[in-house]
Amino acid sequence: MNSFNITDSSTFTRMNVMETLRTIPDPELNVNIIDLGLVYNVEVKEPEKEIIITMTLSSKHCPMGEAILQSVKNGVKHNFEDFSVEVNLTWEPQWGYDNITEEGLKQLRGQ
Amino acid sequence: MSRSTEKSYGLVVSHYLLSAVFFLAMAVMLLFSVRDLQGHYFHPKLLAITHMAALGWGTLIIFGAAYQLIPVVFETELSTYRLPWVSLILFISGLPLLVFSFWNFNPGSLMQTGGVLLLLSVILFCITVFRTAKDNPKKAGIQQKFIITSCVWLILTVLLGVLLVFNFRHPFLSKDHLHFLRLHAHMGIGGWFLLLIIGVSSRLIPMFIVSRVQNTKPLSRSYYLINLSLVLFVIDTYFFGINHKTCLIFLIMLAGIILFFIYVVSCFRSRIKKQIELPLSNTILSFVLMASAVALLPLIIHRHLKGDPSSVHFTTLYGSLLFMGWISALVLGQAFKTFPFIVWTRKYEQLAGKQKTPLPADLYKKNLLKCQTAAFILFCISFFTGFAVKSETLLFAGSGFLIITAAVYIINLIIVFFHRSQTITT
Repeated sequence: MNSFNITDSSTFTRMNVMETLRTIPDPELNVNIIDLGLVYNVEVKEPEKEIIITMTLSSKHCPMGEAILQSVKNGVKHNFEDFSVEVNLTWEPQWGYDNITEEGLKQLRGQ
Repeated sequence: MSRSTEKSYGLVVSHYLLSAVFFLAMAVMLLFSVRDLQGHYFHPKLLAITHMAALGWGTLIIFGAAYQLIPVVFETELSTYRLPWVSLILFISGLPLLVFSFWNFNPGSLMQTGGVLLLLSVILFCITVFRTAKDNPKKAGIQQKFIITSCVWLILTVLLGVLLVFNFRHPFLSKDHLHFLRLHAHMGIGGWFLLLIIGVSSRLIPMFIVSRVQNTKPLSRSYYLINLSLVLFVIDTYFFGINHKTCLIFLIMLAGIILFFIYVVSCFRSRIKKQIELPLSNTILSFVLMASAVALLPLIIHRHLKGDPSSVHFTTLYGSLLFMGWISALVLGQAFKTFPFIVWTRKYEQLAGKQKTPLPADLYKKNLLKCQTAAFILFCISFFTGFAVKSETLLFAGSGFLIITAAVYIINLIIVFFHRSQTITT
């Protein structure tokens, strides 16, 4: 999803945003949205003080969809008070079970 | 809270809570009718209990769950929130009139008014579903077909029911009531409940257990086979009553149900989430109870064709297994996979992400759900065994366990409903 570029000063903020997102679970599955593979991109614009998150949901009109998006906004805003936060919802590419990370699979299997 | 959730909150919650009250009422009515269970199923009190179970308990909660889940299945927002409210008011006005009139067997204006109010309520529900389906920009999936068709069967079932109610006082139907009762019951069981439950659960089960394989081919075949068997049953039974061809029609229905089970098994086999939670265990129990009821059908047909009066006894057992067993077990479990979510969304949507919050599954008491499940299993064992061996003691014990089940269920729903927002400190 995101590669670590030590020459890019925003990389560290981006990694911190990722860690924040790792604390936000899908309320039904109780697995965080990073390990579920719902987050497609995190862009940090340091000069503009802007964080743009591009993500998807496991299904359209998911009853928890609004709550998950709101959690993302709340969580990032709470930890990065100086930044404005934008969450873009996309359906391309469509989410599938192959998006789940090894860690996510472990948690779902109860290992 | 999002606009759609805000609009649907009161609607969904009202359906869940009212249906729970009707469930308790039905369990109490059952306790007072144990002695009548040994007689013919066309008994005023059994008609009252069956309608309380099928409409007040099963259908009302399905309406509520549908307003929450249809946007998920149809991938579009509910087309209207006003019609469902009118539908609910008509429903809760009509049902007590109908059930009270059955209980005292007074087929006059009260029963007729109740029937008409329920028919109007059902029509409004179906209009809401059809309009929402029309708004779905994508091609209708198989789940949507199941749900739409189940609504058509529901209207036909209730329409025939209302005609039967009027026929009590002003006979105009060419054949006797028992003849039409079979059609009415099976259009409701197979057309409304079975198709709707397959449609919704085939979408939700893979979501809840995170299944990799969701091959919908068996589902499509199941859809056509079940509908074919229902149409054949209605036509054949209308003209010829129960006969040898009914066995063939039963086999077509059985093939449809087996194909649905094949789909469910494939979902379970390919699931990523290994732990089966208690609500889902209730769903598995409900399928076992449905299979038990279906397994009785050849016996009932065989005995009926032989003119053996025990077919009546087994028919009541069949109906009890479906309404008290299959539908109750399904609702008793799935309510805790759906109801806490809408309450959680209302209480925590704004807090989530800022602080660690409980999960929807933390809103209900796990121990109460375990108690409820244990009481329900004891009900099944004592009631259905009592029925098979004609033991009044076991039937009374079973009814008692059903009242406990209903009481514990209501308490747990109320706990979820009155949940106060809290955050978890780590």
